[in-house]
Amino acid sequence: MITNWERFISNLPVRLATGRLNRRQLLKAILASTAVAGFASANAGHAVANAPVAVKLGKEQRAFMLQMSKDIYPHDGFLDDEPYLKVVDSLIKEAETDSAVAKMLNDGLIDLDQRAYKIYNSSYAEVKGYGAREALLRQIETTDFFQKVRGGLLFGIYDNKDLYAKFGYEGSSWEEGGYIDRGFSDMTWLPQDPRVKGDKK
Amino acid sequence: MATKIDLNDDSVVVIVGSGAGGGTLANELAQQGIRSVVLEAGKRFTFDDIENDEWAMFSKISWLDKRKSAGGWHGAQNHPTLPAWIVKGVGGSTVHWAGVALRLQEFEFKTKTVNGDIEGANVLDWPISRKELDPYYDKAELKMGVTGDITGMPHLPWNNDFRVLAEGARRMGYNEIASGPMAINSVDRDGRPACQQIGFCMQGCKIGAKWSTMYTEIPSAEKTGKCEVRPNSMVLKIEHDKSGKVNGVVYADVDGNIHKQKARIVCVAGNSIESPRLLLNSESSMFKDGLANSSGEVGKNYMCHTTAGVYGVMPEPVNMHRGTSVAGLVSDESHNNTSRGFVGGYMLEKLSLGLPFLSAFLVPGGTGWGRGVSQALEKYKYMSGVWICGEDLAQSQNRITLHDTDKDQYGLPAPVVSKTPHINDVNMTNHAYTTMKNIYESVGSKEIYNLPAYPASHNMGTNRMSEKASDGVVNKWGQAHDVKNLFVSDGSQFTSSGSENPTLTIVALAIRQAEYIGKQMKSGEL
Ligand SMILES: Cc1cc2nc3c(=O)[nH]c(=O)nc-3n(C[C@H](O)[C@H](O)[C@H](O)COP(=O)(O)OP(=O)(O)OC[C@H]3O[C@@H](n4cnc5c(N)ncnc54)[C@H](O)[C@@H]3O)c2cc1C
Ligand code: SF4
Repeated sequence: MITNWERFISNLPVRLATGRLNRRQLLKAILASTAVAGFASANAGHAVANAPVAVKLGKEQRAFMLQMSKDIYPHDGFLDDEPYLKVVDSLIKEAETDSAVAKMLNDGLIDLDQRAYKIYNSSYAEVKGYGAREALLRQIETTDFFQKVRGGLLFGIYDNKDLYAKFGYEGSSWEEGGYIDRGFSDMTWLPQDPRVKGDKK
Repeated sequence: MATKIDLNDDSVVVIVGSGAGGGTLANELAQQGIRSVVLEAGKRFTFDDIENDEWAMFSKISWLDKRKSAGGWHGAQNHPTLPAWIVKGVGGSTVHWAGVALRLQEFEFKTKTVNGDIEGANVLDWPISRKELDPYYDKAELKMGVTGDITGMPHLPWNNDFRVLAEGARRMGYNEIASGPMAINSVDRDGRPACQQIGFCMQGCKIGAKWSTMYTEIPSAEKTGKCEVRPNSMVLKIEHDKSGKVNGVVYADVDGNIHKQKARIVCVAGNSIESPRLLLNSESSMFKDGLANSSGEVGKNYMCHTTAGVYGVMPEPVNMHRGTSVAGLVSDESHNNTSRGFVGGYMLEKLSLGLPFLSAFLVPGGTGWGRGVSQALEKYKYMSGVWICGEDLAQSQNRITLHDTDKDQYGLPAPVVSKTPHINDVNMTNHAYTTMKNIYESVGSKEIYNLPAYPASHNMGTNRMSEKASDGVVNKWGQAHDVKNLFVSDGSQFTSSGSENPTLTIVALAIRQAEYIGKQMKSGEL
C-alpha cells in the first residue's frame, strides 16, 4: 500500500522529477521502467481477456475517468471540465506508451465499475449522488490506481498556473518586486499594524 | 582562484555539511586562519536556481535519498519515506528555513531540574546555561542580521496574515505579539537588501534578504583562502587511527568515485538524521556500536518539536501568500506553566502556504481528497494560517537506526526515523488547537482546519550534549566524550528542544565551538 507523499513525488511532472536525477540515476530509472513495462506487456493479454468492459482506453473510459476525477476534487460551478480532462488525457497518453500504466488504469476502472454494479446495479458514472460515488472511491482509495489518478489531479488542479487566479493564489511574485508595494498589508477589516506591548520596534 | 586542499593534508579540519552548523563553523574557523575542507553531499545553487514555485523547489533542493519513517506518528503512514524536510545543497536547510531566530529560554536548558524525571521520557539538563550562551547569541544575531535590539534593525512590517493572528491573539488577552526576531533584513544591511515581501521564504530567498549560509558564511569562508568547499561529496565513513583518534573521512564524489580526505579534526554537521547515521555507519573493531557511542545514546532522543498547523477561513480576504512566510510570533504560551496539563511551552508562528502545498497538507496522505478538501481550497484567498512549535521531550525510543536490509545509492544502510508522540505532546497539541480555535473565532472565522505535523523541519537531539559521558554523546563544546578530535556541530547536540526554532542556537553553538577549537589547536591540545 502506498498512499502517500511519495506518490506525489513520483507523479511530479517530468519537468520537476528529472531535476533531481543526475545522468546516471536517470539512466537507471529509465532502464528500470523499461524492464517493468516489458513484464507488464507480457501479462497484458491475460488481463484484457478477463476484462468484462474495457479492452483499450477509449471514449467510454475517458468519460468514466472524468467523472471519477470530478468526484475526487469536486468544484461544481467553480471549475469546468477542461482542467480535469487535461489530466485524464495525459494519463491516457501515458498509457499508450507504458503498458504497466495501461493495465493499472484498465484494471482499476473495471474494478470500480464492478463495485458500482454490485451495490447500485449501475455503472460508476451513473451512480446517483456524490456521497454514493465518494463512498465507492473511499473503498479503493488505497490502491495504486486511485492514487495515480489523484496524484495527477493534485498537480493538474492545484499546481496549475492557469488556475491559480481562480483560487485567489497569485503564484510567483519576485518578477513583480514582491508585495512590498502590492498589497502585502492591504486588509482593511482588521486594525492596521496594531503594535502592542512586546513588539518594541 | 578557489582554494585547493590536498587529500593527504592531515592538518585540516574536515567539516561534514554546509548548513547552519557546518557553514557557520567553516567561516568562524577561516576568520581565525584555520584551514578546513567542507564536504557537502548536495550541489551548489545560485540565485538563478531559486524559483517562486513550491513543488519545483521541493524537488530541486530536498534531501530525497532513501529514508524510512517509523513509530506511532501519522507520518509513518502518510510520509513513509519522508520523515523530515531537509535541504541537500550548499547552505543546507538554511536555504529554505523561514528565518525565525529565537533564543532558548533559561528553563529550557534545565528540563530535568525544573520538571524532574518525566515518565516515558529521557530528559536531561544541558551542560551549559542560557547565561553562558548569551554572548554567543549576541554574536549570532549580529552575524545573521536578526531584527531587534542587538542589531538595532526594526522588526519587519506586519503583513495581512500576521495581522489576523495578532489581532485574534490580542482579543484573547495575549500580549507577547511581535513580527520578530527574524534573521531577515528589514533594511539593507551587510551587503544584502531589505525584504521585498516576496513570499516563498521556504523555497529560498530570491534576493538574499534572509540569512543563509549559502550566500553569507560559505562565500566569506572561501574568500579567506582558508576553506575549500567540495559540493557533491557524500561522506560515507569517519576513520580513526590505532589510538582511537579520528584521522579522516571517506567520501563519494559526483561520479561515485571514493576518496579519503585526511584530517586533524572532524566536525559532523549533517543535520540530526545524517549525523548520527554517519557515526553509526562508522563502526569499527574498536568502536563496535558506532563511533563515539559508548553511552549508547547516538541516534537516540530524536526531537523535532511538537508541531501542528491550523488554518482558518476568515470572513474577508487575507491573501496569506503575500509577504514573508513566517514573520510574526505569539509567545505567551511558550512558558513553563504546568497548570495547562503539560510541561514546556509552545510558540504560535504565522505560516502561509501556497495553494500547491496547502492542497497536499490540508489533509495529508492518501485520504486527503473529496468535497471537504476541494471546497476548503476554494476559499484559499480567505485563509490564514499558523504553525504550532512546542517543546518535544527527549525519549529513548524516538531515534535514528540503520535499516537491516534497505540501502541507499551508496550501498549504506538507510536510516529509519522512529517517532512516537509522548502524552505530553498530545496534551500540548490539543491545548494549542483550542488556543488557535479561540483566536481565529475571535476574528470571525467559522471554519477551522487542524493539520497534523508536517514532515519534520526541526531535527534535534540525536548526539546530545551531557555533563556525564554516560548520558550523552558530546560535552558542552560539542566535542565527543569518547573521541577528542571529533565534534558534532549541528542541531543533533541539543539536550532539549525548547519551544524555539533551533537555528539561532545552532549558529551560537557553532561560533562558540569554533572559538574552543581555535584555542585547543593553539595550545596543542588538539
Ligand atoms: C521549511 C523549513 C523552515 C524552517 N524555518 C526555520 C526557522 O524559521 N527558524 C529556525 O530556527 N529554523 C528553521 N528551520 C530549521 C533549520 O533549517 C534547521 O534547523 C537548520 O538548518 C539545521 O542546521 P544543521 O546544520 O543541523 O543542518 P542543515 O542546515 O540541514 O545542513 C546539513 C547539511 O549537511 C549535508 N549532509 C548531510 N549528510 C552528509 C554527508 N554524509 N556528507 C556530506 N554532507 C552531508 C546536507 O546535504 C546539508 O546540506 C526550518 C526548516 C524547514 C524545513
Ligand atoms: S519574503 Fe522577504 S525574506 Fe522571504 S523570500 Fe521574500 S524577500 Fe526573502
